[in-house]
Amino acid sequence: MENRARKLYLIPYVLWIGLFVVTPILLVVYYSFFDLNGNFTVANYEKLFTPVYIKMILSSFWYAFLITAFCLLIAYPAAYFITKSKYKQLLLLLIILPSWINLLLKAYAFLGIFSTYGAANSFLEAVGIGTRQILFTDFSFVFVAVYIFIPFMLLPIFNALDKLNPTLIDASRDLGASAWITFQKVVFPLTIDGVKSGVQAVFIPALSLFMITRLIAGNRVITLGTAIEQHFLITQDWGMGSAIAVFLIITMVVIMVVTGTRKRGVQ
Amino acid sequence: MAEEAIIRFDQVTKQYDDDTIVLNNVSFEIERGKFYTLLGPSGCGKTTILRLIAGFTEASKGDIYFNGKRMNNVPANERQVNTVFQDYALFPHLNVYENVAFGLRIKKMKKAEIDRRVNEALRFVNLSGYESREITEMSGGQRQRVAIARAIVNEPEVILLDEPLSALDLKLRTEMQYELRDLQKRLGITFIFVTHDQEEALAMSDEIFVINEGRIQQSGTPTDIYDEPINRFVADFIGESNIVPGKMIRDFEVEFAGKRFECVDQGLNQNEPVEVVIRPEDLEITTWSEGKIQVKVASQLFRGVHYEMLCYDESKNEWLVHSTKKATVGDEIGLNFGPEAIHVMRLGETEEEFDKRLEAYQGAGYGK
Repeated sequence: MENRARKLYLIPYVLWIGLFVVTPILLVVYYSFFDLNGNFTVANYEKLFTPVYIKMILSSFWYAFLITAFCLLIAYPAAYFITKSKYKQLLLLLIILPSWINLLLKAYAFLGIFSTYGAANSFLEAVGIGTRQILFTDFSFVFVAVYIFIPFMLLPIFNALDKLNPTLIDASRDLGASAWITFQKVVFPLTIDGVKSGVQAVFIPALSLFMITRLIAGNRVITLGTAIEQHFLITQDWGMGSAIAVFLIITMVVIMVVTGTRKRGVQ
Repeated sequence: MAEEAIIRFDQVTKQYDDDTIVLNNVSFEIERGKFYTLLGPSGCGKTTILRLIAGFTEASKGDIYFNGKRMNNVPANERQVNTVFQDYALFPHLNVYENVAFGLRIKKMKKAEIDRRVNEALRFVNLSGYESREITEMSGGQRQRVAIARAIVNEPEVILLDEPLSALDLKLRTEMQYELRDLQKRLGITFIFVTHDQEEALAMSDEIFVINEGRIQQSGTPTDIYDEPINRFVADFIGESNIVPGKMIRDFEVEFAGKRFECVDQGLNQNEPVEVVIRPEDLEITTWSEGKIQVKVASQLFRGVHYEMLCYDESKNEWLVHSTKKATVGDEIGLNFGPEAIHVMRLGETEEEFDKRLEAYQGAGYGK
């Protein structure tokens, strides 16, 4: 009886995974072996290793790395500060709040801020630096991406720091460690799982960004995400687009495995 | 004397931002190589004293000296003390060996030397062979030992222990009391032990500081404190006590429960109102007519080692009696006690005044 009930509960999960995860992946893998004319081929994968695509892959990784690094640099100290604050919940909410707003809306807001007559340039003008081209630069791309991804980096780190037993820090100091050594030897190792989750949550989506590259970077930055979009919607080369997608999926799995979290008793 | 004091508190006050005073003008000295206990109820300020010594918190007023040097502004990592924390605070990402070696690695000690000292410390706490165990694989008692090894391996001058036995079950706790006391004797390091458990304090200490409401109420050896509590709080907190109001008639004679009794206290004013303490185990059950005071048994509990009876005399004073003899509830019985069983406390007497009075006795040729 109980077994049957359990099988019943399983149905939504199996349906969901089957329809929206397994089937699309199988389809993408299937399409990746056909060329524009519908002939079976592995040429799509061969093309992945031509200079054009290798450059694209490297640039995707480079930007994803930059975005992740900046997110980490900002989110870790911020999360640390929030855990120490009296207004923990409020500060956390303020960080999370923007992530509830539609991504497209935020991107458009930055279009306005960074445009030639936008707020950013008015400010630069006012302090005497003068109007600059901000929009459609690497800077604006990384800036906006970091802005969008910060909550995803901050939350897991915050949780890890929050769970950290504060007496461990006392203990480390008591045993002769300075504040910096305590961070290196106790705080960071014990929150590394949070950092890994954060890196996963930022690096993987950052690899396949396409909307921000389009809107903020003005297609100056071509990432794998942009390439997939172009192949499916513009050149209609579904095969090539799928091959890139398969490559991305494999990369994601590799990253998940590498940054995989081991369970550890953080008390 | 002054040379021997390893830690000295000089009128230290600790006050939080919201004006709560946790320590109120506390002064004391800690001598080298002794086992000290800070004893008091929770929230009395005992842990604050420990944190002040360790350097985790700063005094609002007053000075703290280590070996004669003022240490108020020296950070925790530069102090010659190590702490055994209440929850042990072992590093969960390091194994037993690395936990113990933590302090030595920070001092950038040579590998061979670290190896030698960690092994020695683990042998000291009977944990040889556990080096590569994870902390999560250790039981409560074993973690406790790792925490102690992690402290002693640094060879500090003082070890601070913050209620380290409170998380253990009764049997293990008793075992660890013996072990800690033994360890302290073997190492010869000063131990400062914080607890709210009076039995623990009496069993282990060379010297006890009884603390309440941010003040040291009394300090002394366990027997001093047990036999000569200076006020109601100490009498009540250390062991169980019968405290009844009385009047000092003259030296060696006190009146309570409507009668006059011979006692050993002196140096008080004639007819001074006092409080009289008699320990439950000093009361002996006898027949109505033979007893020095007559009481009625209100209730009785079997405690294993003894019977515990709650009795009332005619003046409605409560008398707690510990006796191996059994009584019957509702019976009227007599209670007997010797003059030494009576301890007279002056109302509102401070520790200094009490000590002065004791000295005056001894000056008068009364060998205490």
